[in-house]
Amino acid sequence: MARIGVFICHCGENIAGTVDCARVAAELSNHPGVAYAVDYKYMCSDPGQEQIRRAIRERKLSGVVVAACSPRMHETTFRRVCSEAGLNPYLCEMANIREQCSWVHTDKEEATIKAIEIIRSMVEKVKRNSELTPIEVPVTRRAMVIGGGIAGIQAALDIANAGHEVVLVERTLSLGGHMAQLSETFPTLDCSQCILTPRMVEAAQHPKIKLYTYAEVEEVTGFIGNFQVRVRLKSRYVDVDKCTGCGECMTKCPSRKIPSEFDCGLGNRTAIYTPFPQAVPNKPAIDRENCIYFKTGKCGVCAKVCPTGAINYEMKDEIVELEVGAIVVATGFDVQDTDIYGEYGYGRYPDVITGLQFERLASASGPTGGKILRPSDGQEPGTVVFIQCVGSRDSSKGLKYCSKICCMYTAKHAMLYKHKVHDGQAHVFYMDIRAAGKGYDEFTRRGIEEDHTCYVRGRVSKIYPQCGELIVRGADTLLGKPMEIAADLVVLATAAIPKSDARQFAQIVGIGYDENGFFNEAHPKLRPVETATAGVFLAGACQGPKDIPESVSQGSAAASKVLALLSRNELEREPVVAMVNPETCSGCWSCLQACPFKAIEKKEIRDRNGKVIKYVAQVNPGMCQGCGTCVALCRSNSIDLAGYSERQIFGQVMGL
Amino acid sequence: MGNTLEEHIKRTRQLLECGEVAMVIGYERGSVENRRRATFVKEVSELERMVLDGLCCENLANYLVREELLRSFDGKKVAIFLTTAGVRSVNILAAEGQINPDCVIILGFEAEKPGELDSAIKMLDGEHVDHYADSIQQLKSRGFVNDRAQVIVKLEMMSAEERFAFWREQFSRCVKCYACRQVCPMCYCRRCIVDCNQPQWINASAHDLGNLEWNLVRAFHLAGRCVGCGNCEQACPAGIPLMLLNQRMAQEVLKEFNHFAGESSTQLPVLADFKKDDPETFIL
Repeated sequence: MARIGVFICHCGENIAGTVDCARVAAELSNHPGVAYAVDYKYMCSDPGQEQIRRAIRERKLSGVVVAACSPRMHETTFRRVCSEAGLNPYLCEMANIREQCSWVHTDKEEATIKAIEIIRSMVEKVKRNSELTPIEVPVTRRAMVIGGGIAGIQAALDIANAGHEVVLVERTLSLGGHMAQLSETFPTLDCSQCILTPRMVEAAQHPKIKLYTYAEVEEVTGFIGNFQVRVRLKSRYVDVDKCTGCGECMTKCPSRKIPSEFDCGLGNRTAIYTPFPQAVPNKPAIDRENCIYFKTGKCGVCAKVCPTGAINYEMKDEIVELEVGAIVVATGFDVQDTDIYGEYGYGRYPDVITGLQFERLASASGPTGGKILRPSDGQEPGTVVFIQCVGSRDSSKGLKYCSKICCMYTAKHAMLYKHKVHDGQAHVFYMDIRAAGKGYDEFTRRGIEEDHTCYVRGRVSKIYPQCGELIVRGADTLLGKPMEIAADLVVLATAAIPKSDARQFAQIVGIGYDENGFFNEAHPKLRPVETATAGVFLAGACQGPKDIPESVSQGSAAASKVLALLSRNELEREPVVAMVNPETCSGCWSCLQACPFKAIEKKEIRDRNGKVIKYVAQVNPGMCQGCGTCVALCRSNSIDLAGYSERQIFGQVMGL
Repeated sequence: MGNTLEEHIKRTRQLLECGEVAMVIGYERGSVENRRRATFVKEVSELERMVLDGLCCENLANYLVREELLRSFDGKKVAIFLTTAGVRSVNILAAEGQINPDCVIILGFEAEKPGELDSAIKMLDGEHVDHYADSIQQLKSRGFVNDRAQVIVKLEMMSAEERFAFWREQFSRCVKCYACRQVCPMCYCRRCIVDCNQPQWINASAHDLGNLEWNLVRAFHLAGRCVGCGNCEQACPAGIPLMLLNQRMAQEVLKEFNHFAGESSTQLPVLADFKKDDPETFIL
């Protein structure tokens, strides 16, 4: 006879505000098989947990139902509590009467009845639960970090410094990411390259870090502790082992007018190139699209001048298969195209540029050597207008969210401009100034008070050229007046958006993403760097717009999660896995086809003479994630899921 | 008509004599006038009882997966009289790992007017499923143009309540004899879901709910698999128009997934196949 204990949580007012918890407890104590039912203000608190432990011991409970919040929130907590009291943790289930009841209803009577139903149903399930033991799987003690921006570099270094091998995969030719493009960084105005490049070198030279640049992750299979990753090493047409990075090829390359991606089109590069002089590794690659040799079959200058014979036009992409135990996704962000704001004339007026282009203008390593010169005529602009929230916080045309970094970098841009052009005028059109962060508000105040940046609260409706100037027409909403500024240069603080292929990448790695395409964390507050896929972690702006300090913190946070994982020889996996009944399986292989984790294989059934009599499906419990897809597809009901068995679910449904 | 049978008999005789096939599955006279039933011929001398005329409507592919028969094949091939629908059944059975299509020698035929005794019979070329790829593609591109399609349109135009009432009335005659299952080439499960009783999802008794559950579950199990041979409707002693359901499902999978059951022996199951680039935003 079942002896189920039911523990009803008030969750403060969250549940008790809409559900009469005492009545629920009274009703449940009369339910067949329930040995004990009690309500308490906070079941997850220490005294709450103690009540459960005591009840299990004293009342010899055979199962526990905690009626509280979502199992995603506290299932682990309560299962641990049961385990401490000597009850198999899988005999404990949560009945969600918060998200699925109290939060979504207002009528107390009805909500109370619904809560009772939800709990009854769960009691019926727990009656049919059986003891399960976690599955132990070995851990490959090597991590992969995807993305070599500051977040990825930080994560890789932290993991490597703890003594574990790291594979760092970067898509472009060099480490550094967007941070390498920046001039100075807020709020301290220290030079971005000066703080970043030593980190890049450290990562590249670290004995525990294997760096693959110009490489892309193509496939991820396996599961936590045991991932297999296929990486494509794109062909550079330069043998990096032979190349010394002397740069002779780049000096002599005749194809010189290619807009530099690194300089956001403000400067040019050659067809054989490194993105920037401080690139790590400092080894060039040939851009096939623009190389004269690849286009016409003639040229070959780089091969002729290379002192070490490192140029190889026949080079092919290489595929490497890697085994890793954990993956940190740090793939970063992009800057939104400004085409959606035709009225700002980006692309039509050369002196309307993006914030990232301004960074290149202000950078000592940029196309102007750090001088603020307008792209149209190379003159120093006397008046610069900065426009914030171009694309962000604009649900009608752009994106709903705040890009978070623009308020600060615009304040910095205006300041850098004023520092370089002392008599210049800097105007900033803003919606709000969001300067939350250590030293951030002081920084924007300093821009306004010491550097005399002129802030105008309002939106710009149109930019048009007139007599060599750009007329910025907008409104000052504080004064309630329209206004016009004749500017020499306009800088648009365009929105930070997910990488264009973020969704496809998420599908490769098997993680979720939000409506905008930023990757989803497992819990917005309590698990910010984990994903819903065990063993895959997030760092940096791929999860949402972030500034440098935040990206670095996330890199370290993800590293600490990876280290916790790699510090173990074996991992415990949830025993919620599918099982095939070989008696009834007819081997139609629907399950094999449908399994997203490739956890199902064919198994031979032989008679006593060793003759194969049939083939049936078999689940590899190490790879099964318990998603239940196969269970739903099996026509003969030959697959069952431990912890969610047909009997349990049936009991649960019939309990309603 | 006579020629057709003669040619087929000649071929089957040859196959049996040289020992290439262990058995020929064809038709013989039934115990009732104007009915034909399956016959299983292992000896040349038995060939004379075989018939082939417009009354031979049963899809014999059903017998390819009967275990007791399989055992007698003992690794040898089997020759079988099939229409194109039957060939499609063989394709699905092969795709679902139930038979090896290379062990099936097809004796293809087509009745001009199926169900009519004096119908002309056309012999089809090709003894291997792969030889039928083109004609199956033609069937696919033709889609579902038949009397049933018009009834389906009428059903679609009903309100949900009217349609439910229609099916409720139809299913009320079901006696759960499971004849539909027994004659269906796709119902090869070793244990049918209706025979599970721990727990019993589908009520075994022949009342409204149980009948509805059984017939709808079967329709779903046939989604993307039914070739429209009509064995089930033929076998139903209660005259339930089961093919309306099955064809409606087949139309749906053709429209939504461009899936035509039994296109090839390597066709992926429509409900178990997915693409990596499906956004699947609803999952995580």
